[in-house]
Amino acid sequence: MDKERADKFYAEEGTEPSSELKKVPMKDHGVIEFIVIVAGFLLITPILSTHRVTDFMIFCIFAMSFDLLYGYMGRLSFGQMLFFGTGAYGAGLFIKYVSGNPLLAILIGILVAGLLAMFLGLIIVRTTGACFALINLAFNHIGFFLVLSPLRKITNGEDGFGVSAFNLGFLNFSSRPIMFGFVLFCLLLTFFLLKRLTSSPYGVLIRSIKEDETRVRFLGYNTFLYKWLTFVLSGSLAGMAGTLTALNYNYVNPNAMDVHSNVGVIFACLIGGAGHLYGALVGGVVYMVISNFLPIYIHRWEMFLGFSLLIITFRFRKGVWGYFQGVWKYVLKRKENQALMAKEAIRK
Amino acid sequence: MLEIKNLDVAYGYAKVLHDVSINIEKGEMAFFIGRNGAGKTTLLKAIIGLLKPQKGSINYQGYDISGISPEELYLRGLRYVAQEKKVFGNLTVRENIEIAAYASHEPLERALDKVVSIYPKLKDFLKTKAGQLSGGQRQILLVGRAFVGDPKLFLIDEPTQGLAAIVIGEIEKILSDLKDRVSAVIVEQNLAMVNRLADRVYILKEGKVAQEITDRSEISDTRKLEEYL
Repeated sequence: MDKERADKFYAEEGTEPSSELKKVPMKDHGVIEFIVIVAGFLLITPILSTHRVTDFMIFCIFAMSFDLLYGYMGRLSFGQMLFFGTGAYGAGLFIKYVSGNPLLAILIGILVAGLLAMFLGLIIVRTTGACFALINLAFNHIGFFLVLSPLRKITNGEDGFGVSAFNLGFLNFSSRPIMFGFVLFCLLLTFFLLKRLTSSPYGVLIRSIKEDETRVRFLGYNTFLYKWLTFVLSGSLAGMAGTLTALNYNYVNPNAMDVHSNVGVIFACLIGGAGHLYGALVGGVVYMVISNFLPIYIHRWEMFLGFSLLIITFRFRKGVWGYFQGVWKYVLKRKENQALMAKEAIRK
Repeated sequence: MLEIKNLDVAYGYAKVLHDVSINIEKGEMAFFIGRNGAGKTTLLKAIIGLLKPQKGSINYQGYDISGISPEELYLRGLRYVAQEKKVFGNLTVRENIEIAAYASHEPLERALDKVVSIYPKLKDFLKTKAGQLSGGQRQILLVGRAFVGDPKLFLIDEPTQGLAAIVIGEIEKILSDLKDRVSAVIVEQNLAMVNRLADRVYILKEGKVAQEITDRSEISDTRKLEEYL
């Protein structure tokens, strides 16, 4: 049907968009979310120490980057640490060899991780399922051994190297409260950026790709482009988390790219609930609490993680956040039903 | 509108369509009937670009579209509604329509209104996850969603398969409303519906066009169609 005929049809049928359809009731709880996140991290700071909570927040940024790829687009990667490590090395080497400017170093770290994701994404996003996960793992392995051995003249191999950025006005990254504030700012920036993106048509699209990519192609989309963009964004955010880690520890070594650490971010997303930004935050904090404190009391703490994953798989498939959402929906529904019953009783 | 000449399509070494030639005029509703395995779905998949023909040509609006990707064909006005009634189950009905509106650069309100005007009951389900809809509602959503943008040719695979009689009636009504506004190629086993809606019927047998029927009196005679089958 050509446009003229379509317009005629709608004019004849009198089907101008009704006001009900025009209104999109989107409640934005941005301010409340801002307060909850800031208050949450500030509240746990006196209990866990500033440095540790800063570390937690960096991990949450990393978890959100992974959640975008896995939770929203349905692509499980076993190699997200590659981009985390690239960001850390990018920023660290920039400070070591070029300039001690920490903000420039962060930008360089994100850029290098993003460029690597752009290049590798051209190959990786063509695959799905196990192949996607394993190709990521393979590139992560390559990256790890590159910084460990062939590039050891500049990366200092296994020993790593110190990172000391200079002060930029009040931005003194060796001050823990300043580092805390800066990382919190980055976390909020990442959260609201991703929230905006995932609730936009782009977000709807990547969630559709997660469900059935072929059908998205039937709707006229070049899915490769969107998958690639998501991969690049996810890699860049992981790179940002890496740069912040380099600045937080003033040190970079191959552990920043350790293949085995991928398990942590996968656990965090599963614990919190994949496909929710809050899930990534909750999962990130829960995982960091477990991995930081459990080893003090339990020698083989990783076994506990294994058990917790089993429980999540069988009992809480949507993770902690998904579970709370379910409970909340149940409570609301129950309240609604009670109100209806009360109304009915009054009517009778 | 759509002209297919001497089309051969195979899955590996197994040839499914043999020398298929069809011609569908603008505004026509053509039905393909035939037994299971006759190659009806394969033909639709070849048109939409999911299968590459071994031989022959597929001309749509004067252009050879064989080998063109499904996403490009969508932008040229082809809409494919597959057999499985698969909606994006974790998205709401509104989001299912939104994704089509975004692809075809149609304002969301207008797209929603188009779909809702086809089946007003959907208005009550806009915030519902599409996965919670019944089979019939999903099919209606899929057909309605295909109407978003500027569709020119519908390719619908077994729209009434596995649905209750009452829903089949609703789908038939929607399809009859579409008649004369868009062209359509529909694979269907429900002969009563074919009787009422078809302008042209192709009977496929073992991957070949066994019969082309354009005579209304023959099309509206169920017994006659059964004889051909």
